[in-house]
Amino acid sequence: MAETPKTKKSKASSNKTPNLKQSISPPTPQISTTTNTTAPRRSLRLTSATPKKFQQSAVTTPKIRQNDPLSSPTTISLAPASPQLTESKRKRKTENGKNEGFETKRASRNVDKNARNESGRKRVYYKKVVYDGGEFSAGDDVYVKRREDAASDDEDPVVEECRVCFKPVGKRIMIECDECLNGYHLKCLKPPTKEVPEGSWICNYCEARKSGKKVELPDPPKGKKRARTAREKLISSDLWAAHIESLWKDVDGTYWFRARWYVIPEETSVGRQPHNLRRELYLTNDFADVEMESVIRHCFVMNPKEFSKADNEGDDVFLCEYEYNIHWHSFKRIAEIDNNEDDGGGVDSGDDWNSCDDSESDTEEDMEYDIESRHRLLSGPSPAHSLAANSRKGQIYGLQKIGTKTIPEHVRCRKQTDLERAKAMLLLATLPKSLTCRDKEMNEITTFIKDAICDEQCLGRCLYIHGVPGTGKTVSVLAVMRNLRSEVDAGSIRPYCFVEINGLKLASPESVYSVIYEGLSGHKVGWKKALNFLTERFSGENQCWKEDSKPCVLLIDELDLLVTRNQSVLYNILDWPTKPNSKLIVIGIANTMDLPEKLLPRISSRMGIQRLCFGPYNYQQLQEIISSRLKGIYAFEEYAVEFASRKVAAVSGDARRALEICRRAAEIADYRAKSLPLSNSNTAVIVGMGDVEAAIKEMFQAPHIQVIRSCSKLSKIFLAAMVHELYKTGMGETTFEKMAVTVSCFCSSNGELFPGYDTLLKVGCKLGECRILLCESGAKHKLQKLQLNYPSDDVTFALKDSKDLPWLAKYL
Amino acid sequence: MSTVASRRSLPAEDHLPEKGRGATPRKRRSRSDPDSVTPSRRKIPKSHGLCDACNSPDSPLRENLPRLPVRKRLFDNVVERPVWNPADVEQVRVVNEALHVSTAPKIAVCRENEQSMILDFCKKCVKQEKAGSMYISGCPGTGKSLSVEIVKETLVNWANEEQIQPPDILSMNCMFHAQTTEIFSKVLRKHCPQKETNFSKLPQQLLHDLYSQKLALDVKMILVIVDELDYLITQDRTMLQDLFMLTTLPFSRCILLGIANAIDLANRFMPKLQCLNCKPAVITFRSYYKDQIIKILKDRLRALPYTVFQPQAIELCAGRVAAASGDMRKALSICRSAIGMLEDEIRESIHSENLSSTGKNGNQQKSADFDWLTSQVNNLVRIDHVAASLSKTFKSPAVDTIRSLPQHQQIILCSAVKLFRAGKKDTTVGELNKFYRDVCKTTSIPPVSIMELSKIGRLHELMSTNLFSGNHRTRTIARRKQKTSSIKSRFSRHCFCFAGNSLLSQLSAVNFQEA
Repeated sequence: MAETPKTKKSKASSNKTPNLKQSISPPTPQISTTTNTTAPRRSLRLTSATPKKFQQSAVTTPKIRQNDPLSSPTTISLAPASPQLTESKRKRKTENGKNEGFETKRASRNVDKNARNESGRKRVYYKKVVYDGGEFSAGDDVYVKRREDAASDDEDPVVEECRVCFKPVGKRIMIECDECLNGYHLKCLKPPTKEVPEGSWICNYCEARKSGKKVELPDPPKGKKRARTAREKLISSDLWAAHIESLWKDVDGTYWFRARWYVIPEETSVGRQPHNLRRELYLTNDFADVEMESVIRHCFVMNPKEFSKADNEGDDVFLCEYEYNIHWHSFKRIAEIDNNEDDGGGVDSGDDWNSCDDSESDTEEDMEYDIESRHRLLSGPSPAHSLAANSRKGQIYGLQKIGTKTIPEHVRCRKQTDLERAKAMLLLATLPKSLTCRDKEMNEITTFIKDAICDEQCLGRCLYIHGVPGTGKTVSVLAVMRNLRSEVDAGSIRPYCFVEINGLKLASPESVYSVIYEGLSGHKVGWKKALNFLTERFSGENQCWKEDSKPCVLLIDELDLLVTRNQSVLYNILDWPTKPNSKLIVIGIANTMDLPEKLLPRISSRMGIQRLCFGPYNYQQLQEIISSRLKGIYAFEEYAVEFASRKVAAVSGDARRALEICRRAAEIADYRAKSLPLSNSNTAVIVGMGDVEAAIKEMFQAPHIQVIRSCSKLSKIFLAAMVHELYKTGMGETTFEKMAVTVSCFCSSNGELFPGYDTLLKVGCKLGECRILLCESGAKHKLQKLQLNYPSDDVTFALKDSKDLPWLAKYL
Repeated sequence: MSTVASRRSLPAEDHLPEKGRGATPRKRRSRSDPDSVTPSRRKIPKSHGLCDACNSPDSPLRENLPRLPVRKRLFDNVVERPVWNPADVEQVRVVNEALHVSTAPKIAVCRENEQSMILDFCKKCVKQEKAGSMYISGCPGTGKSLSVEIVKETLVNWANEEQIQPPDILSMNCMFHAQTTEIFSKVLRKHCPQKETNFSKLPQQLLHDLYSQKLALDVKMILVIVDELDYLITQDRTMLQDLFMLTTLPFSRCILLGIANAIDLANRFMPKLQCLNCKPAVITFRSYYKDQIIKILKDRLRALPYTVFQPQAIELCAGRVAAASGDMRKALSICRSAIGMLEDEIRESIHSENLSSTGKNGNQQKSADFDWLTSQVNNLVRIDHVAASLSKTFKSPAVDTIRSLPQHQQIILCSAVKLFRAGKKDTTVGELNKFYRDVCKTTSIPPVSIMELSKIGRLHELMSTNLFSGNHRTRTIARRKQKTSSIKSRFSRHCFCFAGNSLLSQLSAVNFQEA
C-alpha cells in the first residue's frame, strides 16, 4: 500500500490489479468464496466461546497498533499460540468475480487474505484481512448480515435517493432531516433553498406530522422500488453492526472474526428514549465469533466528538456514546481512552486503509461506503415505529439474547447433580421464571397501570404498595413491568417510560429529582435544575416536552426514605399526577402500613386512596414458591419443603428466609453426599427432613448459647454467679460488689483460685461488651450495676453441662 | 360536554362581577388599617343574609331542610338522561376524566362567596393601586388553589373590560422551590426583567428598596400568589414577615395572596405584623358539607350526557367524606374507584353470562325498589359499589394486617395485650418473652428464641403496624431498668378494640383457653 489511495485505483482496474503489499509472504492457498447470495450461509452468531487467551489477544491488538504507527501499514499477525511471529507474509489478491458492470460491486468477490504457509492446524490471527474486496482490520466497525435468507439482503444497498424526486444525489446538495433522516435535494424542498440551513433542520413532512396532520410522502415513480440503504436496514434492525475485535483464519481455511455487537436503542431494555439520536448505537459487551462471509462492509461508529465533526461524512456514520451491558441492562459512558482506540476507525488517517474515508476516490471497488462530497445523503422512509416494532423484528433471529434477561452463567452451564442445580435455583439472586402466589396483586397492578396507560388522555394516579420485607413487592411490580414491556413490543399498548428508583440508593432524598430527570431525558443535572425541568414537564408548561410525552411510570422503592423534614420531595412527586397533562403514574413501595397517614394531610390528600397490601406468605404459598423454583429438579423430599415453609411461615412469612433455609439444607445434603464413600455415590442423595432441620437450627439458633458455652472459665463462673444471684434475690439487677462476693464464695468452696477484683472487673466489662450482660461503664468499679441481657434459662441451659466446671450445675 | 359546561358557567361568571361591583361601595380604607370597618378577618358569613339563594346552605342547622328538594332533583336527573353504558370504553374514559383531580372545573361550585371576597379584595387593590395582603386557609382538598386560580383569570378579564391595566401575575408553589428566597428574586424579575440582578444585595433588600422609593409607582401592580405558604416558616420566621412586609411599604405595588392549611398562620405573626401596620385579610375555606360535595359531584357529572351514579350512591359518598374530612379529592377518587368496581363487576358478569345466563335474578331482586329502572339500574354505580370503595378507603388496614400475621407474631401480640391488660404502660422485651414463653408452653408450641423475638418486635416497628414502638438496646444505664428496650404498645387501645371482636377472642381461644 505504498501508493496513496487517491491515485491508486479506479474501480474497474482494481479488480484486476493485484494489490501487492510491501511485505511479501509466501504464496498461500487462496480461498475463493464465490458470491452466491442464495447459498445457505452458516449461522451468523456462534455461541462457542473463544479461549481466554484469544480474547486477550483481541484486546491487545488495537493497542499495539496505536503504539506503533509505523507497523500499521504492514500487516501484523498476532498469533499468540504460534511461534513464527516474524515470518514474512505476502498479500495476494486474485480476481474472482466476473461482472464489473454489475451495479453493486460487492458482487464480484475478491478474496485477499493474509495467510500463512504454515501447516494451518492452528488458528492464525491477523491484524488485517483483505476479504471480499474490502480490507478489514481489528478495530473496524462493519455491517453484518443478520438473517440467512432475508429477502432484503438480496438487493444490495444503493446510494440514497432524494425522498421527493427519487433521483440519486448527483451533483446537487442534499440535506438530511434530523427527525426522519430522509434526504432531500435542496431544490426539491418547498420552498427551494440555496443554503444549507444552520443548526438542526426538520423537513416539512416531519413538521406537519408533529403538528398532528397526516402526511403522505410522495410515492416513488412506478416500477421503481425504493431501495433501502444499509443504514436504514441497520436502524430497522435488519442488519447488525459489529466492532471487530480480532481476526483469524480457522483451521479449515475460513476467515473469522470476533465481533462485539452494537445495538440500536430499540433493542435495549428501555427502548428508544426521546434523547436518543436517530443514528445512535450502543456498544454492548456481547461477543460472538462470526465468519467473514457475513460481513457486508464498513460502517463508522464514532464518539460524540468525532460525530459532531463528521458533518459531511456520509451515510454510514453512527454515534456511540454509551456502552450497554446486556446482562445488567445498564449504560456506561465510554471512556475517552477507549474512543481513541476503538472508535477511531474513520479518522486515523495514518493508516492507509482508512485514509480513503474522507477522500473522493476509493479503495478497491467498494464504492458504496465512500463518502462523496455532499452534505448528507440520505433517503428512505422514517424507520421510526410508533409501537417500537423494531425490537419485535429482531427477536426472530436470536436477538432476544440482547435486551432480555439471561440466566446467570452459574445456573446455565453444566450441572451434574440435581442438588447443585437446586442450590443454584434457590439462590436469592436467581430470578424465578414465573412468579407464583401473587397473581391477585399482580393483576391489580397490571390493571392499575394499563387503565392509566391505555387511555388516550393518560390520567395521573398513585398506588401505594406496602408489606413486610420478603413478600415479593418489588419483584411483582417488576414482573408486571416486564409483561407490559413485552406487550409494548408486541404493539398492543402504547409505549411508555419506566423509571425505577430505590430510595436506599439515593444519596439524599432530593437527588430523586435528578435521577428521575436522567431517566426521562438522559441528561444528568443537579437536583434543583431537575426539579424545575420536571415541574415544567409535568405541569405541561413546556411545549417541547409535550410532543413526545409518553406516559411515564415511576416506581419508587422504599418510599418512606424520601420523607424529609418538610416532606417537600413527596409533596412534589405526588402533586405531579394531579396536574392536567402530567401523564405520570407513581407507584410507591414501602414497609410501613400507614405511611400516608403519617404524612402531612395535604400530601395524603394528593396520594389518593389506591393501596395494595402484600401480606406475609402462608405456608402453602411458601411451599409453592419453593417447589416452583425446583420444578424439574428432583432434589427435595416433599415433606422437607413443607417443613421448611411451615417453619418460616409460623415466624415471619419471609420468602427470602424460606429460600435461604432450603438452600442451606441443600448444601448440607450436598456435603453429606460428597462425604459418602465413592461406591455409594451412584445413589442420588436428596434433601430430607434432617437436612432442613439442621439448616433451621443453624438459622434460628441464637448465637448467645454458643458464645456462653465457649467463653472462659472465669466468665462462666461469673455468669453462674449472676444467675445464682438472680434466683437468690429475685431482682433483675445487681451490683458488681455483690457479684464479687458471690464469685469468691464459689471459688473458695470449689477449690478454684479467686482471681482478684481487677480481673473480675475486666471479665465483667468483657461480657458487657459482648452484650451478654448489660453493665455500666467500668469507672464505677464496685458500684457498677449489672444485669443479664438474656433469659436466665438460656444461661442455665448453656452452662449446665460444661465439662471444665462440672460443679457449676449445683448453683444453677 | 364542554358546551353544557360553558352554558352553565356563563350566568355564574356574570354573577361574580356583579357581586363585586355591588360590594365596591364597601368602605375601602388602607389595606393595613386595623380599624377598618371591613372585617379584616372575614369568615364565611354565618348569617344567611349574605348567603345567596343559589348557594347551598352554609349552616349545619339548615342542612336538613334542603335535602328533600335535592333528592327530588336527583331523581329528575335520572329520568331526564339515558343511563350510561359502562361496557363502553370511551364512556368510561370520559367519566373518569370528568372525575379526575386534574380536570379543573370552569367554576368552583359552592365557593362563590369566598371567590367573590378574594376577587373584591383584588379588584379593590388594583383599582386603587394599593398593596394588600390576604391569607387563605383551609383543609386540603377544599378548593383553595382552584378558587384563586379562577379569581386570577377573572381579574384579568375584568381589568381588560374596565380598561384598567391588569396586574402582573406571579403564582408559585413554595414546595417546588428549593430555596425560600427564590420568591423574592422571582418577584423582582417580574418587576424589572431587563435589569441585571445586583448580586451585592439580597433580592428582598432590593425589593424593599424598590418599594420604598417613589419610583415604584411606574411599576405595574403585581399579584403574587403563594401556595403552601407555611413552607416558608423558617427558624427565625423572617421569611414570612419579609413577605408580608412588602405590602406595607409606602409605595408597594404588591398584592399578596397566601394559601396554606393552617388557620392560625397569620395569627401567629399577628403581633409582629400588627406593629408593622400590616394585617392581612383572612379567608377560611371550610371543609365541604355533604350537600356541597353532592353539588360539586353532580356539577362535574352534569357535563356528561348520561347518568352514571345512582343519586343515593353520590349521597352516601358525600356524606361519608364530609363526615371524615370534607376533602374533595378523596370524594373524587372514591367515585372513580367505585366506577372501577362497577367495571370489574360488569366484566365478570359478562364473563359469567357467557358461562351461564341465569345469573341475573339476584340483581333484579336487589333492585326491586326501582322497578321502573330495573333494566338500567344494573349499569349505574350503585350504593354498594360506593360503600365498598368507601370501606376500602376509610378502613384501617390494621385488622387485616393483624389477621394475616404469622402465628408466632400473633402469639407475641397476644401476650403483649395480656400484659397491658394488667394495667402496665410499658414493658421490656425480657418480660414479654417470659409471657410469650408461658403462652407457648400452654399450647405446646416450641417458642422462638429471644433474638428472634426482638427481631419480630423491630419488624413491627419497621412496618409500623405500630403494634410496638420502642427503642432497642438503649445504651444509657438510666434506661437499664427496662431491660433491653421499652416496648410500648402504642396501639394497645387498638388491641383492646379488637379484643371484643374476632381476632383476639379467637386467638385467646386458641392460646389461652386451650390449656
